Amino acid sequence: MNNLVDVAIQYGPTLFDGLKVSLSLTLLSLAFGLPLGLVFAFGVTAHNRTFRYLSVFFVEVGRGAPALVLLQLMYYGLPNADITLSSMASACLALTWTTAAYSAELIRGGIQSVPPGEVEGSHALGMSYRDCLRFVVIPQGLRIALPSLMGFAVLLFQATSLAYSVAVPELMSQAYSIGSSTFQYLPVFIIAGLLYAAISIPATWLSVYAERMLSRHL
Amino acid sequence: MIEPNIRTGTPVVRVTNLAKAYGSNVVLRDVSLTVPEGSVTAMIGPSGAGKSTVLRCMNLLEQPDSGEIEIDGHRINAGRKPNPKNLAALRRSAGMVFQHFNLFPHMTVLRNISLPQERVLGRSRDEANEKSMELLKRMGLAEKADQYPSRCSGGQQQRIAIARALALGPRVMLFDEPTSALDPEVGVEVLEVMKELASTGMTMVVVTHEMAFAGNVADELVVMADGGIIEKGEPGQILQDPQHDRTRRFLRAVLER
Repeated sequence: MNNLVDVAIQYGPTLFDGLKVSLSLTLLSLAFGLPLGLVFAFGVTAHNRTFRYLSVFFVEVGRGAPALVLLQLMYYGLPNADITLSSMASACLALTWTTAAYSAELIRGGIQSVPPGEVEGSHALGMSYRDCLRFVVIPQGLRIALPSLMGFAVLLFQATSLAYSVAVPELMSQAYSIGSSTFQYLPVFIIAGLLYAAISIPATWLSVYAERMLSRHL
Repeated sequence: MIEPNIRTGTPVVRVTNLAKAYGSNVVLRDVSLTVPEGSVTAMIGPSGAGKSTVLRCMNLLEQPDSGEIEIDGHRINAGRKPNPKNLAALRRSAGMVFQHFNLFPHMTVLRNISLPQERVLGRSRDEANEKSMELLKRMGLAEKADQYPSRCSGGQQQRIAIARALALGPRVMLFDEPTSALDPEVGVEVLEVMKELASTGMTMVVVTHEMAFAGNVADELVVMADGGIIEKGEPGQILQDPQHDRTRRFLRAVLER
């Protein structure tokens, strides 16, 4: 127990820096991945063939391939094609892909559960297709998808630990390097685990709260 | 002063030779209908007769296979893909009220009525809200403006839907079984609003099972069965003395239950 406290005091700041990297990797992947997911959500059912095939490709590969494979592909694979990215950039790219693919399916589910009568209502009023999407379909679809998107964000935050394999100095890789230089693996991984939980658990509460707030009109 | 004869008023809606089939299932066969300005046309008939389909074809929510639709001078030929501008203009001229209201549940009552005015007519938010409040007052629902539709009864929601359609200043109002999803008691308040609307000279087409409304308020009664119009004319006359056997059977079923 003393050991745990000592490690926490001595290596806390380093682990905390790692946590900040994990969080920024999560936020960046969400910031790029969610808008892309919205585009793919429409893409997979689009009439335009090129758009549809591209969307299906990105969604299926993004969901089909493990995040770890995508990470390694971006970091170790792309240099073979003369594209060299920094570890952070390649991790960000890989997790953005994963986010876009998963969120596309979640958002598509949300959008499809908007009652068709409301779409008809807006057409009958003479509103354009774009306005119907913008004011009726997307706000409600996102609202329906939001709880599961927030749940996915928590999983993504935990998945950023995979980025240690491509040398991103995030929480897991900091813990690992502290462990390998001090052999204090047990306390350091306990602390790392607690730090992940300290973010994940309140985030889960937040998603429950958001769900309640957003269904006030029902 | 001579009473203007509504029967000879300029037609606001003209539907010519409308036909539609889903595969081998014919839903409309050669339906033609003219609705003069300021008149109320009620469409009755057994379910599956094609009444709602005719109404939904009028503003192209349903695409007919052939025929022509003209509302307030905007003409659309069913064979060709409609030009989006013309389609929007046609839909703007026709207000539609659905059986299940189709309000936007995530918007307040006021937003439901104001948003289409802003997007379709380009009104400012203030202008739109002013018009919305005026209509809500007319519907007796001013105090509901800031509520969400789910907080309103079915009858209130339907009156809100009527206000939303009226706010765009349509030349004709299309009602698709507006009281069928409501309790009979609640339906009355919607029918009152419709009567009031008719008395102000609004051109209306109403698909309904409310025989009293069809008999007392409508100027013209259209009886449909099996995808076609089998009888049309003065409501009193048809209800008293139907010419077609199918009409007689239908009326017996609805009036003597």
